[in-house]
Amino acid sequence: MKIEILGTGCAKCKKTKEAIEKVLKQTGVEAEVIKVEDIEKIMSYGVMITPAVVIDGDVKLAGKVPDEKDIRKWIAK
Amino acid sequence: MAAYTVENKETKCSCGSANVALFPCAGAANVGQISNKIAIALEENGIGDLMCTVGIGARAPGLMKSAESSDRIIAIDGCPVSCASKTLELAGFKVGRQIVISELGIKKTKGRNPKDEEVGEVLEKVIGILQSE
Repeated sequence: MKIEILGTGCAKCKKTKEAIEKVLKQTGVEAEVIKVEDIEKIMSYGVMITPAVVIDGDVKLAGKVPDEKDIRKWIAK
Repeated sequence: MAAYTVENKETKCSCGSANVALFPCAGAANVGQISNKIAIALEENGIGDLMCTVGIGARAPGLMKSAESSDRIIAIDGCPVSCASKTLELAGFKVGRQIVISELGIKKTKGRNPKDEEVGEVLEKVIGILQSE
């Protein structure tokens, strides 16, 4: 599983990364977590506001820090 | 009044104040083109973030998620056909405010290149409407 966190390095982007890493650790799910700061790459997903979370190419959320509950749902197989 | 420099706007970080999304119709008429220029000018004035209305029509995931997390949606339609508002509503979004350019003293024509003075006059009216709320 590839999890991309789109954001230019703001506080909410950092919180998003921390939240995802925390849930991955708790659940034992293995995923490649990538922080995407390149604006062209971010815009290629059609995302207009960050932070955003993209899992295996699907945009799951944009514009806010995800709830742990949502992260668990996204990574559940 | 307005300086219409069309440039690549960076994706906005949502840290900070409320997110206001601006969706112009950008239709094939003078009022449609004015709607786009108005949306750009509103963004330059810090009133909201320009977003792609056709992306909502296409249900593009990034656009849909960006709209979902907006605290308020403003649709800027050129005429009463209200394509921007209806596109948003059909996608399940609540339009917090609709602006209709042809109701602000501009007659709809097939013009593609509205004059800056015309856009400036409409912009003043639009800002007046938004500030009166």
